[in-house]
Amino acid sequence: MSFFDILLQQIVNGLALGMMYALLALGFTMVYGIIELINFAHFSVFMTGTFFGLTTLNLLGFSGSSKALTGLPLVGTLVLVFAVTMLATGLLGIIIERLCLRPMRGVSGTAPMITTIGVAFILVNVVLMVWGPQTQPFPGVIPDQRWTIGQAEVTLKQLLLGAAGLLLLLALHYLVRRTALGKAMRATAQDVDAAQMMGVDVDRIIILTFFLGSALAGAGSLFFGFYYGFTAFYIGYTTGLRAFTSAVLGGIGNIPGAVLGGLLIGLTQSLGGQLLQVRWTDVIIFSILIALLVFRPTGLFGIQTPQKA
Amino acid sequence: MMRTLDAWRSKMALRPQQRRQLWAVVLLALAAAFPLVDQNAANTDAMANAFVYVLLALGLNIVVGFAGLLDLGYAAFFAVGAYAYAIVASFQLKPEWSDVWLPFLWLGQVSRIQLPGQPDMVQLHFSFWAMLVLGAIICAAFGIMFGAPTLHLRGDYLAIVTLGFGEIVPVVARNWEWLTNGAQGLGGVRTPRLFGFNFGFAPLPYYFLGLALVTLVIFVSYRLQESRVGRAWMAIREDEMAAGAMGVNHIHYKLLAFSMGAAIGGLGGVLYVAKLTTATPDMFQFPVSVMILVMVVLGGMGSIRGVVVAALFIALLQSVFLQELTAYVQTLGRLIGNAYLQKVQLISSLELIFGCILVLMMLYRREGLFPAVRRVAALTREQQAVLPTRDATVQLSWAGTTTAAPGALLHIAGLTKRFGGVAAAEAIDLMVERGELVSVIGPNGSGKTTLFNLITGLIPHDSGTVRLEGQEISGLAPHAIVTRGVARTFQNIRLFNNLTVLENVLVAEHPRLQAGAAGAIFRPPRVCAEERQAVDNALEVLALFGNRLLPRLEHPAYGLSYANRRRLEIARALATRPKLLLLDEPTAGMNPAETLELIDLVRGLQAFGITVILIEHKLDMIMDVSDRIAVLDHGVKIAEGTPAQVRNNERVIEAYLGRRRQTR
Amino acid sequence: MDSQSPSSTERHLLLQFLDVHTYYGPLHVLKGVTYEICQGEIVSLLGGNASGKSTTLKTVLGLVRPQQGTVLYRGAPIHTLRTSEIVRRGIAPVPEGRRVFPKMTVLENLEMGRYTRRHEPGWNAELERVYGLFPVLKERQNQLAGTLSGGEQQMLAIGRALMTRPALLCMDEPSMGLSPGYVEQVFDIIRTINEQGTTIFLVEQNVNMALSIAHRGYVLQMGEVVLSGTAQELLQSPLIRQAYLGTVAEE
Repeated sequence: MSFFDILLQQIVNGLALGMMYALLALGFTMVYGIIELINFAHFSVFMTGTFFGLTTLNLLGFSGSSKALTGLPLVGTLVLVFAVTMLATGLLGIIIERLCLRPMRGVSGTAPMITTIGVAFILVNVVLMVWGPQTQPFPGVIPDQRWTIGQAEVTLKQLLLGAAGLLLLLALHYLVRRTALGKAMRATAQDVDAAQMMGVDVDRIIILTFFLGSALAGAGSLFFGFYYGFTAFYIGYTTGLRAFTSAVLGGIGNIPGAVLGGLLIGLTQSLGGQLLQVRWTDVIIFSILIALLVFRPTGLFGIQTPQKA
Repeated sequence: MMRTLDAWRSKMALRPQQRRQLWAVVLLALAAAFPLVDQNAANTDAMANAFVYVLLALGLNIVVGFAGLLDLGYAAFFAVGAYAYAIVASFQLKPEWSDVWLPFLWLGQVSRIQLPGQPDMVQLHFSFWAMLVLGAIICAAFGIMFGAPTLHLRGDYLAIVTLGFGEIVPVVARNWEWLTNGAQGLGGVRTPRLFGFNFGFAPLPYYFLGLALVTLVIFVSYRLQESRVGRAWMAIREDEMAAGAMGVNHIHYKLLAFSMGAAIGGLGGVLYVAKLTTATPDMFQFPVSVMILVMVVLGGMGSIRGVVVAALFIALLQSVFLQELTAYVQTLGRLIGNAYLQKVQLISSLELIFGCILVLMMLYRREGLFPAVRRVAALTREQQAVLPTRDATVQLSWAGTTTAAPGALLHIAGLTKRFGGVAAAEAIDLMVERGELVSVIGPNGSGKTTLFNLITGLIPHDSGTVRLEGQEISGLAPHAIVTRGVARTFQNIRLFNNLTVLENVLVAEHPRLQAGAAGAIFRPPRVCAEERQAVDNALEVLALFGNRLLPRLEHPAYGLSYANRRRLEIARALATRPKLLLLDEPTAGMNPAETLELIDLVRGLQAFGITVILIEHKLDMIMDVSDRIAVLDHGVKIAEGTPAQVRNNERVIEAYLGRRRQTR
Repeated sequence: MDSQSPSSTERHLLLQFLDVHTYYGPLHVLKGVTYEICQGEIVSLLGGNASGKSTTLKTVLGLVRPQQGTVLYRGAPIHTLRTSEIVRRGIAPVPEGRRVFPKMTVLENLEMGRYTRRHEPGWNAELERVYGLFPVLKERQNQLAGTLSGGEQQMLAIGRALMTRPALLCMDEPSMGLSPGYVEQVFDIIRTINEQGTTIFLVEQNVNMALSIAHRGYVLQMGEVVLSGTAQELLQSPLIRQAYLGTVAEE
């Protein structure tokens, strides 16, 4: 394979990965846009989502050694698993917000962020206690079909998951841009007091934002499970940091930016893994994050600058 | 009055100093006796390990507790210190011999190995004691390296960046195999030797070494806390902007806190690795950083004794308590026939416990179990009943007299500042003579506070100049402008809320004092004299307010009445010994009697030769007290002159009451 | 101190403050204020800085709760209700500093104005009315609100408040930061809106402008009502200048 072909392959892989980071980054950036809080727990919710998905698949009768499905059963299963997982993670997000974050609203300093770290730890360890430390194989329900573009391969997994992600993004776009509720969300993110004066129930909007953000994390978590074929209690951390970098890259609080940031980081990961050694990709991505925060905290596209001092 | 001052001063001298020293001796004796009495090597070993964590917690306490910087990657410094020692005290590096190693050979830090058929090699076995110092220095350097580009970031962004550092260091350790032997880590690290005695693997010498280091760091922490440096840190933690307005260079002090914390982390790392004789990347991952954070949060951020107790508790929880508790729980399980309990291993829920501690502490007891804020006794009846008096013979020893040389003190020309197209200040010209009291008035949004912010360097100007005594000060950082002699109060009061009245004022003396970290720790006579003098100066300034503030020296600022908070802010600004004092609505929220009292004081300051610029809205009072008045409207100076001139100026009246409507 | 306009009981009382005390932390901002606003009036609340004008409006909207006293709207107490409910009952705010949503279009801002009545019919009628009053908004309906000039943003803020066809419009310093030309325009429009039937509670620093369109006014000083009366009476009163510009209490 020529260099160009390898490049193309990595671009394909990178975009698929990027979709996952985009979904995860979105939830993170939406919450930040509304309450200016860095929610560490988001990434543990993501990790928990994979286990919700796993449990759902197990309940449906699939296990690590199941055969792949095709056609309607495949689509039906995927839809069902996505729906259940997203609902479960969305609810988890709401519970976290109500119990731990709402009392912290208005508290200045880093106390709220420390709270989210605590929540993240609790989640990870509950999962650890319930499912154990071993990696759990994800049922391989998506068959291993491939198509070639030139010398590069695109798998069915990438196509299906990519399509799912795209659908979700379009749905989110529609919600945020076209519906009254979405406009209320945007208004609240831009000016909480004015939104309140318009009669918006700010508390409800915050709950909704957490639900949506966590549900998107749930979708992203299924990406992880199906794409990599496994899950474990520790996956939230590194994936989370990469998604966080994506959000910052796109400009924190900026929804389209999060998507672009996710795609860019996905590309960075796969290209970086190809051109350098995989083990250094983490260092690269963290360095990007640090450089961003130091030199350009508004990200590539963001307009919202951090206000709190 | 001098008698009262003396009385206050002697009260200061009887600090809990002696009580604390007594406690220290008792605890130290108990700690020293413990292993000899207990005779249990496992316990001693657990305690020795615990001491390492106490060190780390104390180090993080300086960063998080004193200076208010959330560091989520503190384990990075732990790792750097550990690896620094491990690399030079194990067989990892085997460089070829060259003469560059001669001085080290002479100092006994390396050996020259001769192998048959191969070039000579260097075997490194640096002294543990040398590395204790060197490791700390290396970590401090890392702290500066990490901190210099990042410490200006706001709180949670800084936290993420430190998290990144905390990630990068173990990843580098895992992958830079040549230096660190990768994931396997370094083993066979040389144990410390002291005068021929090899510490070996028995825990006892490490116990005493750990105890000694912990005692040292506790001592250093207390010394720092109660010093100019500690006050600067706490001011930054409370209100960075106000700290800058009082002359604290917050970048410098943040770096100082960060690197000191790093150095202590390095100490812990060197000790830990020497005891364990191995260093692997897994020992320094994120959960370790979190554990140390949990210790600080649980004990109380900024509370030295709280952090020590919490660190011991958590460390022992991990190494001893959970094991023992597991045994009990399993027995219970057998008694009641519960299969789950019989097999439970509580140690695996350690991180769960950490998470719960973090969440519960933040929700319900943010100040920690042993909070750092001191509780004060309420005033006695006598103190409360004291009528507020103002002694006419109070002097400010440093202020000039009314015969100060005349001439322009402040000269502003063409000062302009735009916020996105809207001019908050437009070509403002203003000259203020020495000893004058100039008032700046104008309707809401006219740019008065913006003017103050421009003069004090809080916001950069777009064009124009600001000259103080002929020297250009625009473009200087706020803390530099303070040293030139400009001080201010804020419209919405920015006190250091958790600091006492006295501490608030002492912070303002920061630029005129000189003690640095070394001075704080060693307290040479010069520094002690400086501190005493600083307290005297503070008392002198506070005495200007009669018995309003003096009886409340040890009260935290958040507990003061509204009027007293305003007074304290003025006292604090005065403590910087300004030539020019900018007061932003000092009587806002005060009743008429309090307002009159304050204006009397401001007149008195004028008598001491201090030049004052005053923003106020109570116009009759302004007319009464000002030498000149400048009127702003929409960022433009529309009038200037004596009170009589301004009072009847049509444009001024129009600015306030609005233009008459053209059409009806 | 005050000469009442024709007995308020003869006309419909829309909004009433009865001996309201409001605190910001330790600060006693409103010290027992009483206002009466009747249907169809323009009532202006005047006073210098820190007199309590903005706090009054925030109290009406439920953003701040009084410690003592009652606020009645159409005879029913509203000082314990949530903002969304208060808005739903027919009170709309034009906040100080406009507070339009900068990254939403003009049209979307107007949609937000109608948020509490979004399920009711009549959207088009209200939109037409607003565009009739402010043709410039129709021109720029797809433009981001943050890119509008100050005067245009003020128009948008007023238009946004009108989208629910409120009975009572609370305006906080509409002239602040505007060039004189826009100020004239804005006050003309306020008068027009009032003629179309909306009652207006106007907080304003610009005394002359306010009293040129108001029917009655109250003058606040340090949280207390020191003058009230018809606009004519207030304009001719020699005390207003003194009271308005603020004084230390007479010794």
